[in-house]
Amino acid sequence: MDDMAIAVKPKNTFLRGISNESFISLFMITVLIVLYGVAGAIVPNFFLPRNVLNLVMNYWFTIILGIGVTFIMVTGNFDLSVGGNIAMTGVLSVYFCQAAGVSQNALANGLGLPYGVALALAMVCALAIGGINAFFVTKLKVPSIIVTLGTMMIARGVAQVVTQGAQRNTSLPDIFGVVGNASVGNTPIKISVVIMAVLVVVAFVVERKTVFGRRTYLIGANREAARLSGVKVNRHLAYLYLTSAFLAGVTGILLASEFKAGVSGRATGYEFDALVIVLLGGTSINGGFGSVLGTVVGALVLGVVTSAATGLLLSPDWQFLLKGIVTFLAILAQRYALDRRKS
Amino acid sequence: MGDNVLEIRNLIKTFPGVTAVNDVSFDIRRNTVHCLVGENGAGKSTLIKILTGAEQRSYGTIRLNGDDYVAHNPKDARDKGISTLFQELNVVDQLTVAENLTLGMEVTTFGFLRNVGTEKMIDVLKNLEPSIDPRRKVSTLSVAKKQIVEIAKAVASESEIIIMDEPTAAISEGEIQRLFKIIRGLRDKSVTVIYISHRLDEIFELGDAVTVMRDGRHIDTRPVSDIRDRSELIRMMIGKTVFEKYEPKENPSTETILKVEDVSNDKLCNVSFELRKGEIIGFYGLVGAGKTELARAIYGVDRYDGSITFKEKTLESSPHKAIEAGIALVPEERRSEGLFTILTIRGNTCVMNMDKISRSGFVNNQSEKRVTAEYIRQLNIATHTMEKETAKLSGGNQQKIVFSKCLFADADLLLLDEPTRGIDVGAKSEIYQIIRDLAHDGKSIIIFSSELHEIVNICDTIYLLYEGVLKERIENGTVIDSEKILHTVTGGE
Amino acid sequence: MKARNAVGTVAVNAEPGYLDPYRNRWIAIVKASYIYIVFLLIVLVFSVVKLDQVRFFGRGHFLSPVSIVNLLRSSVPIITLAGSFTLLMISEHIDLSVGSAMSLSAVIYALLVRSGVSFLPAFLITMVLGVLCGYVNGALVMKLRITPVIATLVTLNVFKGIALLIVPNRISAIKSTDTIKMPLWINDYARKAVFLRLPAAFYVAIAVVVVLVIVQRKTILGKYTAAMGGNRTAAELSGINTVRIGWILYIIVGVSAAMAGIARASYMSLGDPLSGDGMELDCIIAVLLGGTNFYGGEGSVEKSVIGALIIVCVTVGLMTVVPPFWQMVARGSVLIFAVTLNYLLAKD
Repeated sequence: MDDMAIAVKPKNTFLRGISNESFISLFMITVLIVLYGVAGAIVPNFFLPRNVLNLVMNYWFTIILGIGVTFIMVTGNFDLSVGGNIAMTGVLSVYFCQAAGVSQNALANGLGLPYGVALALAMVCALAIGGINAFFVTKLKVPSIIVTLGTMMIARGVAQVVTQGAQRNTSLPDIFGVVGNASVGNTPIKISVVIMAVLVVVAFVVERKTVFGRRTYLIGANREAARLSGVKVNRHLAYLYLTSAFLAGVTGILLASEFKAGVSGRATGYEFDALVIVLLGGTSINGGFGSVLGTVVGALVLGVVTSAATGLLLSPDWQFLLKGIVTFLAILAQRYALDRRKS
Repeated sequence: MGDNVLEIRNLIKTFPGVTAVNDVSFDIRRNTVHCLVGENGAGKSTLIKILTGAEQRSYGTIRLNGDDYVAHNPKDARDKGISTLFQELNVVDQLTVAENLTLGMEVTTFGFLRNVGTEKMIDVLKNLEPSIDPRRKVSTLSVAKKQIVEIAKAVASESEIIIMDEPTAAISEGEIQRLFKIIRGLRDKSVTVIYISHRLDEIFELGDAVTVMRDGRHIDTRPVSDIRDRSELIRMMIGKTVFEKYEPKENPSTETILKVEDVSNDKLCNVSFELRKGEIIGFYGLVGAGKTELARAIYGVDRYDGSITFKEKTLESSPHKAIEAGIALVPEERRSEGLFTILTIRGNTCVMNMDKISRSGFVNNQSEKRVTAEYIRQLNIATHTMEKETAKLSGGNQQKIVFSKCLFADADLLLLDEPTRGIDVGAKSEIYQIIRDLAHDGKSIIIFSSELHEIVNICDTIYLLYEGVLKERIENGTVIDSEKILHTVTGGE
Repeated sequence: MKARNAVGTVAVNAEPGYLDPYRNRWIAIVKASYIYIVFLLIVLVFSVVKLDQVRFFGRGHFLSPVSIVNLLRSSVPIITLAGSFTLLMISEHIDLSVGSAMSLSAVIYALLVRSGVSFLPAFLITMVLGVLCGYVNGALVMKLRITPVIATLVTLNVFKGIALLIVPNRISAIKSTDTIKMPLWINDYARKAVFLRLPAAFYVAIAVVVVLVIVQRKTILGKYTAAMGGNRTAAELSGINTVRIGWILYIIVGVSAAMAGIARASYMSLGDPLSGDGMELDCIIAVLLGGTNFYGGEGSVEKSVIGALIIVCVTVGLMTVVPPFWQMVARGSVLIFAVTLNYLLAKD
């Protein structure tokens, strides 16, 4: 053992001193900076401050979802229900808030509940989806990818039923559109972005500094050993699924408020976007490895690539291909970097 | 053809930073049972991996029947005449016994399976263990029988050399005897067996020659008959003498700390016993006797009928309640149940008692590091940094980390399920010392083991288990009749 | 037979489940046949419902020839895919890109036909495309060792992206190849009756199923698939090249996806780059309903096909009772039901 310590002279003490998670985050930050530079060089007006700001502003909802999904993926599980949950919560918050009995049109009639009550009820429904996920994953031990695919469809289905496959956007009180469109002072920074920033900081602290964060990693590293070491695995997973559903619910309400409408097709594919940014951030699908910081960086990488594509006037149809290729390259690059570091 | 079936010359295998096999040369004679012993990390497994084609050598030659031998993968090795029985269970649960036997050796026409050769395989199995129906699904067999299926497969492959890596680790005494008979039969049918085991008694019972390895080097190869006894072999393996002897406790406490009454479930039948403070008791029995199930019942993992009282309080059925009450378990399967192998030593040490290193939910990294450093020193864990992934440590060091996890939980009762399984002799005696010290400090300890000498060496009281039933209670310190014990745990009256 | 064995070995060693052999036998019977019972029940339930109001069935009942023909015609893609998807899941792999591969094939086939290529060459070229899709998936999963879910999620996006990009123009709001200049015969394969009022595409799908049943039961590929899914290490130590087996399975799934895409394009007379969306979910539901273990090793092709028919029956059957917006809720519930049932049965 001692021979080994002497034989392998650390070339870079700083890089050797940090954890693998931080290493991958640093690696992806480097990738981000390089991509940003390249995009700036080939795309006209890319460096404009407005574009930089848009990069973050346009991805706030994906990042919020990414937080919950990161934690769940660190335990070795999936949550694909978040996109459907956004649509459902948004639609329900509108439906609960719409005035009752004002029109012949079924889609213009809601329950007429007070604003606060409507939001609270919508959040309860969002949490119910999280509860269903938690129940099937922890009590019946069904694979989470399947359960959350199921709840994804159920949640989106509820949104479709309530909106008859379209949307609800009439007879809403004025207050409904306030939160999603409000800005901080005179800046163009929206409240939603501030909420995202606060959540990221909280998540970062929970992940790095708390017992709760540690236990999340323990479950991902070895679920059985975690149970035998006294971690209440089922309860912990339930908390995580509820948190993820809560975050999706908040996002759903913010988006419904921003557009002052509950659209059944809202957030289609967001669950995959959240998954993609978590993967870009280096979180391992096998559990026990990952970080929220990485997820934020992942979101920015995806943001740079898609806005560069938009800047180059590519059609929106390019997004699928780009997402696929970027994820693929990121996974390979991260693995290569980790292998190099380990040997 | 010469006398030697295998000649190994100047074999070297280096990994980045380590030389696992260092200039090893020895011969294996035809038609013998050749034992290979050494502590974990002595280089046995690497040597075996080179022979089976799982690893490639860095330097040196191997001659099989005088011809140069190189294997690129296990199938290649088998085609050239060396087949291997690996340590882990390598049967496919979802296939039938017969399908498992022919797996990888099917005869086909245009990709369609044909029923050729199956009969011969089944005959080999019938000789080993007549009670296994070849049409049964392997998932319905017990662990021991799965192992028998695997052994049958290796035997039926008609190789010149069969390597057996700890074949008796999970099978019962009766099955071991049957296996030995088969191995002797193989030798008579001009097959050479390379036999690896941590159970030294087996080497004296079975072996013709033994090769000892230490720190990657070849120490000696000689006929087993030239070795005087167990302790001489141990001395060769670790380079120093170890004394293993039971020492009775001076002032035994009378305070009862654990009371188990009429505990039953599908693997246990009315188990009752008591444990005093500072006492070490041992449960001895064969694989499948219910030892692990008893440990799991006490720890609250499995359900049971009956009552378990700890410190005068009835235990609730869940591991975290058990830990809160002051019980810690060193599980049977170290890597899958005890350790977080992808996490570092630091990430493993404190997990059973997070409250002690945290304040209102926030972890104090400094005290975590302090605690970890303290345990690395105290248990003599061989590492140069606490940031090392535990997957990269040797078995003995991994087990010490599982121990430090349990010690940090401040438990008054430690349940040790096979605490030294797959651990080399040096680390074993260190772990025995840790156990004795703990008992000396007033901790109560229950050891569940299928190694008799381990139980006899350290336990104050010995219980014999057979098929989930407590058969006998023996106070240690008197003369222990091993034969009688073996008689009892194999179902004798 | 099984029960007697279990009892006979009690004295030697405690074996799982030896306590109550009869209970085990009942569970085995239920496990082996529940899918057929569920299927019959569903057919029975829907056959008492009047179907006149649903255009799909024409006039009459669920069991009327028109309805059955319509039902079977529209279930060709899922039947084609269910079998190969089963084999893939038995090997403990999954392919989330089947839907996209199917869309891409549909688009390519439609473009070929519209540009004047006749049936057989168009069919074969599309099949080659399917091989390519499967080959790429196999390379990512087996060669580069990327987790199947992630790797095929990547290709899902890539195939879908390509399909969207190569469709030349838009008609109305829906993007797909238009039907202008599309030869009329494109319909024949999936709609024109050749035997028992059913089209060629249906018989091709059945042929695919039959071939795969034989592959699973009688060939070395079937055995190795199960071995690999049950215990990959054991399979590799027995000398099985699991990389090659997995790769072959991905290619088979790719080919099936291409065939499904051709059937879909023929049925709709156009190539829609979103027509395969959600097909991966239907495949998973069908396979899980059919009792294939999610963690590999066990499963059956023919039961997955029954699972596929159940999905189609439920989908169209539901149209008779609730508005179409409930489809999604129903599908999600069936998925969760299927996987839960699968687990409860696997437990004992």
